[in-house]
Amino acid sequence: MRSRAIRLLISHGILSALVLAMMLVAGSSVPLRAQGLRMPPHEKVVLKNGLTVLLLEKHGVPLIDISTIVKAGAVADPAGREGLASVTAELLRKGTKTRTAQQFSADLDYIGGSFEGDATSDYTVINAEFLTKDLARGLELFSDALLHPIFPEDETTKLLAQSADGIRAAKDDPQSVMFPYYDGYLYGSHPYARPASGDEISLAKIRRDDVAKFYETNYAPSNTIIAIAGEFNVDEIKSKLEQTFDSWPTRSVKSEALPPVTPAKSKRLLLIDKPDASQVYFAIGNTGVSATDPDRVAIRVVNTIFGGRFTSQLNEALRVESGYTYGAESFFDDRKVAGPFAIFSFTKNETTTPAIDLALQVLEKLHKDGVTEAQLKSAKSYIKGQFPPNIETSRQLARIIASHEFYGLGDDEINQLEAHVDAVTPEIARQVIQKHFPAENLVFVLIGKASAVGPAVKKYAQTQDTRPISDPGFWPAPAASKK
Amino acid sequence: MRKAKWNVFVPAVLCAALCLCSGATIALAQQQQEFPVATRTLKNGMKVLVQTDHNIPNIALYIFYRIGSRNERPGTTGISHFFEHMMFNGAKKYGPGDLDKVMEANGGSNNAYTTRDVTVYQDWFPRSAMPLIFDIESDRIRDLSFDPAKIKSEREVVASERRLSVDNENSGVLDEQLWATSFIAHPYQWPVIGWMSDIEHWTIADLKHHFEMGYAPNNATMVVVGDVSPEEIFKLCETYIEPIPTHDPPPPVTTVEPDQMGERRLVVHKPAQLPLLMLGYHIPQTNNADFYALNVLRTILFQGESSRMYQRLVDKDQIALDVQSQAEPAFDSTMLEVVAQPKQGIDPQQCEKAIYEELDRASNTPVSDKELEKAKNIRLVEFYRQMRTINGRANTIGTYEVFFGDYNKLFDAAKNYSAVSKEDILRVAKTYFGANNRTVATLVPEATPKAAQ
Repeated sequence: MRSRAIRLLISHGILSALVLAMMLVAGSSVPLRAQGLRMPPHEKVVLKNGLTVLLLEKHGVPLIDISTIVKAGAVADPAGREGLASVTAELLRKGTKTRTAQQFSADLDYIGGSFEGDATSDYTVINAEFLTKDLARGLELFSDALLHPIFPEDETTKLLAQSADGIRAAKDDPQSVMFPYYDGYLYGSHPYARPASGDEISLAKIRRDDVAKFYETNYAPSNTIIAIAGEFNVDEIKSKLEQTFDSWPTRSVKSEALPPVTPAKSKRLLLIDKPDASQVYFAIGNTGVSATDPDRVAIRVVNTIFGGRFTSQLNEALRVESGYTYGAESFFDDRKVAGPFAIFSFTKNETTTPAIDLALQVLEKLHKDGVTEAQLKSAKSYIKGQFPPNIETSRQLARIIASHEFYGLGDDEINQLEAHVDAVTPEIARQVIQKHFPAENLVFVLIGKASAVGPAVKKYAQTQDTRPISDPGFWPAPAASKK
Repeated sequence: MRKAKWNVFVPAVLCAALCLCSGATIALAQQQQEFPVATRTLKNGMKVLVQTDHNIPNIALYIFYRIGSRNERPGTTGISHFFEHMMFNGAKKYGPGDLDKVMEANGGSNNAYTTRDVTVYQDWFPRSAMPLIFDIESDRIRDLSFDPAKIKSEREVVASERRLSVDNENSGVLDEQLWATSFIAHPYQWPVIGWMSDIEHWTIADLKHHFEMGYAPNNATMVVVGDVSPEEIFKLCETYIEPIPTHDPPPPVTTVEPDQMGERRLVVHKPAQLPLLMLGYHIPQTNNADFYALNVLRTILFQGESSRMYQRLVDKDQIALDVQSQAEPAFDSTMLEVVAQPKQGIDPQQCEKAIYEELDRASNTPVSDKELEKAKNIRLVEFYRQMRTINGRANTIGTYEVFFGDYNKLFDAAKNYSAVSKEDILRVAKTYFGANNRTVATLVPEATPKAAQ
């Protein structure tokens, strides 16, 4: 549910990294009706070179999915070279020791396979998929890109230019760039401020050598998790994987701990001016929680009531009762350390302050009134009833087990989900609201026509910033430009 | 372009049921056994298709109504889609707001989408919610209410949806203009969401008329996939759906779009950082025999980074970020769209020229054996990608049933694709990709207006 707003970004071709992070948080299990939700059995093998391999046999359709996490995401991008993790992952398939980019695509497409690399804030992710009958060829292609990329100069230049233009195109569609602006403005000097996609300025500074260095520093067996799920025999595939990846030489990787996140301590508002916009898009919130926060299930239950489904308090108020918008929602994007929390919606220029006022009232009411037994009962049924389709396919399961391994979460994330959901009481909800749903020090990011909405939104925060959407970069003004 | 009740956040999985679906030479008998479908036609004329799948303890239920924006008239464009929204806003037993609240409190969720041809309602729910879902569906098919206050606020919701997906989204604007220019007679010319002035002006009487016209059980097909047996579903249908009386379906759409006799061009000037190019070619309705050859050709031209268009425009000439094609299922002669996103500083006409050269090549020289095999392999994988979820299956089975008149065509697709020859591909390329048959839409960026300080 939380991935909904972000999922918009993916359809516009860039920034898809964000999506994965969010979809993964869901958790999973394959449910035998009588037993409740259960994670299907899976196996973990650590090869001699330190590579973690996860195997999950899943029958139904003859497809195999690989989800690989390299433990270096946008947070590992050097300042001024934002987007490097993402570009490195995208370039894996653009030339190997034995294949040109064109040969790789031809071989991959011939079997109807897919291969894509991208980065989230926390990690790099590389996903591949092919038919079971093409296992040998699919695995060979996948390992070729992962282990033997050469990052040709011309392919690197080409991709960087395309990525920068992709950001320019995305800025023509305001909602698709809301969250890079929001993260930038909310997180300030913390690495979570960095746009995983990079921006027009940082992408222009990246060179082929930066990419090669990023790969050599971070792509090592001990820093990598390969999850594979689908229609295969575990024992057979295990030996194939060992043969394929045993030769990947060990390399030591030094990992830097992320600095802790400091929530915003005062109200701030950023208005991104898009002078032709007839609708204003807004995100309001503060920092949220980490993927391992002990309150995460209770937060999910409360957020379902507040802004996580069609009949949520936010959507009821802003859409169903008032007609201000086509949709309003809230989400927590759980990451290694506290990820963002946001309320997100949009409305025509004329109803900007009535809609924002109403969203703030709904938040205030949540703090004042808490949630009722009846609301909890409904949200619990909803979460439990809607969960199974999150663990329906081998693609979903591969991504979930890889992400759980990365964040240090176990199968109980799914096996105990129903029990943890059921355990939430109005009192627990009250505590969770006080602790995790921001009340006072809200950060506002708006994209809209400044001349139409600027004066009215001054009331929300003393600190105000404005910049044209046509200015390169997101926020803050890229460090590189100051150098 | 489809419009949905709750599309802001809707997963992208529903897209492209037809364009992507099908198999290659792998035994289709085997596919049919893998995915058996039980069917029954109720006494009131509604056809019900059920496929059991115990992978997860959930069910996807789709109801396809054969009514969309092609059944509208000038002045009330967009009313099918608006009506789709009203189907969630109260009936006799479940009043305004009740449907969503009751469904979610029982673990279910819903959505709907409207196209030029159909309106489709979707419910996703755990087994335990099964009788309730049927009670809700029968209530709104039989006894929808028209609350003036709800109509007023929902009108604003749809206006916001239009601002989101058309007015503030360049591809939305250009797509709308392309259809309006390519079609001069047939109702495919207006947008599914409707012109803004129509959204502002339709009346309760228009809505009631639309309901009476389209929402007959004999104008609908139900598809259920998931953790349930056909017998259970048929029994629920007998109780809840079968008593709903039959009535006349919408009058046939008799207007035939005349042949296009020369290229049409249009330009949209709009503040933007990058230009945009869309081309439209008239192609036959979905159940035409050329469907398969056209899809194989589209796969060779557009799908994957080894496709001809990607290789040419994105990789070699480096004039575009992306080039794609789309063709939605349609009852009548429709349009194949090509969308190219030129790079910054590139004249869209450069992209046009490269696209035409590739289309000419496909019309004059046979594709290679390897390309043909590749396209068939891709179609097979896409078949399994759609069949891996109960949601994908319900949508795909329903789409084949409604647009081909027989869901079995889904399982025949493998055979039909493998029968496509190089000569067929040459013929369809020549037939449909001529200059006289195309409409060219270009978005030209204009300087951003200075904010009034």
